[in-house]
Amino acid sequence: MSDLIQILILGLALGGVYALMGAGLSLVFGVMRIVNLAHPSLIMLGAYVAYWAFRLYGIDPLIILPVAMVILAATGVILYKLVFEREARSAKYSEMTVLLTFAFAMVFEGALATAFTNTQRVTSPAYATDAIFIADIFIPLGQLYAGIVSLVLIAGLALWLKYTRFGYAIRATTQNREAAELLGVNVNFVGLVSFAIGLALAGAAGALVSFVFSFYPSKHWEWIAILMSLVVLGGMGSILGTVVAAYTLSVVAAYVGFFFGATWSTLTFFVALFVVLLVRPQGLFGEKPELA
Amino acid sequence: MAQTYENTDEILAARRAYNDTLAQAHDARRATWFPLLIVALLMLVPALQFVGNYNYVIHLMLYTLMYVTMAAGWNILGGYTGYISLGHSVFFAVGGYFAGMIFARLGISTIIMAPVAGLVCAALGYLIGLITLRVRGPSFIISSLALVMIFRILFEKWQFIGGAAGLSLPINDLSVQWAKLPYYYAFLAMAVFGVWASYRVRHSKFGLGLRAISKDEVKAESAGIDTRRYKVLAFAMSAFLFGAAGAVWGEYLTYVRPNIFIHILYFSVWPALMCILGGKGTIAGPVVGAVLIVAFNEFFVATLGSSTIHILVTGMIMALTLMFFPLGLVGTLAKHRRLPRILNWD
Repeated sequence: MSDLIQILILGLALGGVYALMGAGLSLVFGVMRIVNLAHPSLIMLGAYVAYWAFRLYGIDPLIILPVAMVILAATGVILYKLVFEREARSAKYSEMTVLLTFAFAMVFEGALATAFTNTQRVTSPAYATDAIFIADIFIPLGQLYAGIVSLVLIAGLALWLKYTRFGYAIRATTQNREAAELLGVNVNFVGLVSFAIGLALAGAAGALVSFVFSFYPSKHWEWIAILMSLVVLGGMGSILGTVVAAYTLSVVAAYVGFFFGATWSTLTFFVALFVVLLVRPQGLFGEKPELA
Repeated sequence: MAQTYENTDEILAARRAYNDTLAQAHDARRATWFPLLIVALLMLVPALQFVGNYNYVIHLMLYTLMYVTMAAGWNILGGYTGYISLGHSVFFAVGGYFAGMIFARLGISTIIMAPVAGLVCAALGYLIGLITLRVRGPSFIISSLALVMIFRILFEKWQFIGGAAGLSLPINDLSVQWAKLPYYYAFLAMAVFGVWASYRVRHSKFGLGLRAISKDEVKAESAGIDTRRYKVLAFAMSAFLFGAAGAVWGEYLTYVRPNIFIHILYFSVWPALMCILGGKGTIAGPVVGAVLIVAFNEFFVATLGSSTIHILVTGMIMALTLMFFPLGLVGTLAKHRRLPRILNWD
């Protein structure tokens, strides 16, 4: 019994990290209709920022996290200005941007791998290998911290979207771009800001990931498939859906891993994706019956 | 000049006659001799072996022809129908494993089994298509990526077909000089078949339906096209060509291994990139793209040799093509009416 609770807790802690990784992706898709396949490779960039800060200067990943967010947000602004702003006018936009972000994912992967090689890395602050015990259930501190920070950031994002004027503008643009524009929302600026915020979340996720998983540049392929499954599963563009999907699937994957072995646990995400495509193509929280 | 017609039959007959004259005018402009000449020259290439050792040249040609097969297959789905798949390496691997297992157990050459492997992949593609083609655009692309991940785990776990170590296949007993020839001609035949098939599809009612789907699926459906059946069939056809190519590639390499055959960059992204770089939806595009990418790759590996920079540069080419030449080389030239006659195979 305590095994099962143990796995539930580990699953929830990982779920928090996946939720944070997916939330930025979902925000960007909602506002700009971009499926950013480069998102996981940018999370990787955030992880390297944390790794080198820790390795060279001994700065804790949790302290460097805001810096990683700023760096990634800046990258987001540059990418948006250089690429997506001009692409927004073209037809077949959302399909083209998938391919385009896929190309950027390869560019970032190649750049990171060229600069830092494909060696496995992990940041190892003291708490990463520490754990606390409640009765006979142990909770790894690293994953606990990562889960808590993710929750705080996601809650912050949700509150910001719900209660600020700019949050209104973002939600309006997500719901109906043309109508929002007619009502005086500067959709281009909203796009820029949400892209930057989405990537800032990627930076935060990267800093957390750096001590939760070991990582190397080409690992982002694994994350792409997992995160995309979450986003499709939750309903494209629904942040709540993504978060719910992240927690649910991580817990299920943890149980699958416990009963059947670790390799099968990743399969959970993809099988879930196919089941959802079969049963409810619009995803759990999606509204549109078709995703054009 | 206005002309009056008695009934709809006459109108249809007149329209058909007009279409025929257009088609004839187009046929008259088409340089059919050029692709035929290329095929004839390619058939003669192995004769080089009589005068020296040109195994490298033959390998490179064979490699290009394999990619022509795949890019032409990808074109049927991605180019005509507009459904971008980044998961076709799955069919390449399934074809490789199917024919490889039969070759290893029963000793039937993969060259003979290639069409069967293709059909197996087509059937698999049909089934997968029934699920994944329910969604469009980004969701479809994502599902194709997930497909790669699923099959990679399955292949690595399935001990019957060798697990992560894969299958070793026997080496043929031809002398080094002629060892590559059977595979060379097999890939040449497949590439010709692939290009011919994509030509036939393009000029059929089926192909017209596919292109209508890529323009506007809802309108296509309301015009009476059974869009679901059409696109699933297109998916199956492209899977066929990938499966056939994978089958022979296994025997040529003398092994089939999951991490090599389901390689997402080489067998999913490259065919897509070739097709896009050359020109999606054109006949000559995939061929031009395959030649360019293989040549570039060979040059790049020979001069720099690093696989990480390789990924970086492939990504850059893809990004720049998409941003500045979304129609691809052939498509862009055709749009500006600058396409040389010999490359207009449509």
